Amino acid sequence: MAGHGSNVHSAELASRPGRDGLMSALARWTFISVSLAFLAALLFAPLATVFVTAFGKGLGPYFASFSDSDTAAAIKLTLITAAIVVPLNTIFGLAASWAIAKFDFKGKSFLITLIDLPIAVSPVISGLVYVLMFGLQGWFGAWLQDHNISIIFALPGIVLATLFVTFPYVARELIPLMEQLGNDEEEAAITLGAGGWMTFFRVTLPKIRWGLVYGVILCNARAMGEFGAVSVVSGHIRGLTNTMPLHIEILYNEYAFVSAFAVASLLTLLAVATLVIKTLVEWRTGYRRRR
Amino acid sequence: MSITLDQVTKRYQGSPVVNDVSLNVRDGEFYVLLGPSGSGKSTLLRSIAGLTGVDHGRISLHGRDVTHVSARDRGVGLVFQNYALFRHMSVADNIEFALRVRRMKAADRRERRKELLRLVALEGMDDRLPTQLSGGQQQRVAVARALAHKPEVLLLDEPFGALDAKIREELRRTIRQVQRELGITTVLVTHDQEEAFALADRIGVMNLGRLLESDKPDELYARPATRFVATFLGAANLLLARQTSEGIRFGTTPVNARAVERVETGREHEVVAVLRPEEVELAPTREQLQAGYLAQGQVEEIVFTGAIERMRVRLQSGAEEAQLAGPAGESGAALIEVTRTQPEQRAFPLSPGQPVFIGVRRIHVLPTPLSSFSAFAADEADAKKLSQHQLLAGLASGMKTRVSVRVDTTLDIIRAPGTKPDLAGVAVIAAGPDSARHVQVLLQRGAGEVLVLPEAIVAPKRILIHWVDETPRRATLAVSASLLRHVPAEAVYVGILPEGTSEAARPQGVRTLLDARSEAQASHGLEMRTELRVGEAVEELAGQLAESPEQLLILGVSNVEVLTERFSRLLTASPGWPILVVYRTT
Repeated sequence: MAGHGSNVHSAELASRPGRDGLMSALARWTFISVSLAFLAALLFAPLATVFVTAFGKGLGPYFASFSDSDTAAAIKLTLITAAIVVPLNTIFGLAASWAIAKFDFKGKSFLITLIDLPIAVSPVISGLVYVLMFGLQGWFGAWLQDHNISIIFALPGIVLATLFVTFPYVARELIPLMEQLGNDEEEAAITLGAGGWMTFFRVTLPKIRWGLVYGVILCNARAMGEFGAVSVVSGHIRGLTNTMPLHIEILYNEYAFVSAFAVASLLTLLAVATLVIKTLVEWRTGYRRRR
Repeated sequence: MSITLDQVTKRYQGSPVVNDVSLNVRDGEFYVLLGPSGSGKSTLLRSIAGLTGVDHGRISLHGRDVTHVSARDRGVGLVFQNYALFRHMSVADNIEFALRVRRMKAADRRERRKELLRLVALEGMDDRLPTQLSGGQQQRVAVARALAHKPEVLLLDEPFGALDAKIREELRRTIRQVQRELGITTVLVTHDQEEAFALADRIGVMNLGRLLESDKPDELYARPATRFVATFLGAANLLLARQTSEGIRFGTTPVNARAVERVETGREHEVVAVLRPEEVELAPTREQLQAGYLAQGQVEEIVFTGAIERMRVRLQSGAEEAQLAGPAGESGAALIEVTRTQPEQRAFPLSPGQPVFIGVRRIHVLPTPLSSFSAFAADEADAKKLSQHQLLAGLASGMKTRVSVRVDTTLDIIRAPGTKPDLAGVAVIAAGPDSARHVQVLLQRGAGEVLVLPEAIVAPKRILIHWVDETPRRATLAVSASLLRHVPAEAVYVGILPEGTSEAARPQGVRTLLDARSEAQASHGLEMRTELRVGEAVEELAGQLAESPEQLLILGVSNVEVLTERFSRLLTASPGWPILVVYRTT
């Protein structure tokens, strides 16, 4: 419906008296071609390079690169990390956006700022803080070593760093949505006799489901693709603590171009799939992003 | 009684948004809460539904105290202004929601749904989504949904607010019909008086968090007790008049309207009269007037609106001073609003500029004891400044009355008693070291009420009410009730027993207290809290006032000497509090 409105708006703009038909057409095409040229140079060309290099020596070497045990381990680790991080951040995002949209409390704006913090902070710093806390020289390092718990250079460290980096995505998607949709439907449900859980699952969750799906997709994409923070805490142990992005870097540095780009193509496919799902979601509901 | 509210108060950031509201809604009654936005009517409705908790007071539904019962378990049906339908559910699922919650069988649910859709005239719409319906249809679904679980009470929060005029009228009829058919007790909140008149068995008018008046629509229109109701329900000209033993007098003219009601006999005093535009008669000569003569005037402006003609007529010949506020709220223009029907227009066609004789068919005198204010000071500048004091200006604009400026250098001179009273309305003076003496002088000159205003401007949040003896009780309550309608503050009556009162005499004191409360409620519609103290009156009052600067004291006295001897300490305190002295000897 909003699309309909914008059509009307541009038609109205074009019919505005005093506008030269030829000049405005020229301006329009100039803008469109400049944008397209930028996209081609900066987005499509690199993407194409990934696939061209990956398949450069034929299908055989492409699939062979996945049979390498280290590569398989990296893919597995990435999937495990995402499987832990995404549900946790979904729950956190729901809780935080619910609290922010439905209640007034002291420190609310502070909480909103905190949620945005991981976006503002460089990913390397995000990783470094965990090293400073849980590393051997860190605050809890000695204690952790005494109790034989390893966090840094192990799965827990990777999960923690990824969790930190991706936690704004669901919350930031849901907060404006919940604020916009208001509280009336929930209040109606309560006066009709529904309890808290029932109101949440039957009214609130369906109301925000597409915003939630969108937030989860973004969160997942970032969780799988994160490099900087994970790089600091992982220790790059082949077959043990290398995630896909780290593994790609190692392969590349070893001049194993086909393998590097084959793994990279997997990540790229993930991004493409994310975009496809996102478009589907938007097409399915006419839900448009406001930011 | 279906719904009983007892002294319900809801505060938001310290100030009351719902202020001591008590109300009974009968079984099967259609009750409309009417008020401007921000008057607290929606908050009150939400607290009946249980969506908002109250800070004070009790709420009962059908005799069951539900003050602390959650909204979920109150069993009321609530309809929101913006429908609040579950947008992802079909009409059928929306309506069946409450039944699903109650685990009703599918077949029974379907039957109930069909019944409800018939009731709101939406048969066959079961499978639509809310977005596929028009606003009017969505609100019908919302009504059906709210009625599904057979609630004992139906609450509607501005249900027609988002609809255009024609749909509004149609839906209004449906809701009235549904309400009659089911006999369900209904409370509707609106700011639209036409809607209130069309629907209500009884209307309650709210302003500043208080329920001002509650009555049948025709009674409220004909005999409002407050200026707010008089001007909010329909159009009204407010006029200042003098009530004398012979009747009502405007300026120099005694008015002989047939339907002037007598309110209070006794001493001559200023009153506020309500003159509805349709109760004014215009004629070319005084002899041709069939109603009582008010004044001469001149037609200022005429607007033709179809069925009736609206005009403004300027008052002349001695009655100019009478006009307080026209229906548009502007004051001091000496213009009154008149409406005439087609037959009246044909009998006496008028054009702007034409001189006319003005008659009044019916005048209603408001029972308020606060008519106008006069700001007294020794020089012009001080008097002007006092008349613009924020608290006073706020009161005057809320009461739609005027503040006249009176320069008087003789406030210090106590005259011999027996001088003819020359004061009208409330006398206002600035607080200072001499204010006790000034109050004494003004009271002896015939003032019934004196307001002492400290320079510091603080909006009172609490109003203390106390009378020294029983003589001024009625008047003090009437003044308090009138004042409290225009101030968003809480009222507390402070009863004080003398020091050394025996245990045996205390129940007597409590009874006096409760009597005061029920009298305030019964005869003035004023809800107040009560507190009982033991000790010296001035000490106790000073102690209470010391708690916060945001207070105002209304003090009833019957003896000037008692006032100056015992209470001068409060009157001259610095920085002090606003104090309204009410003086009655009989």
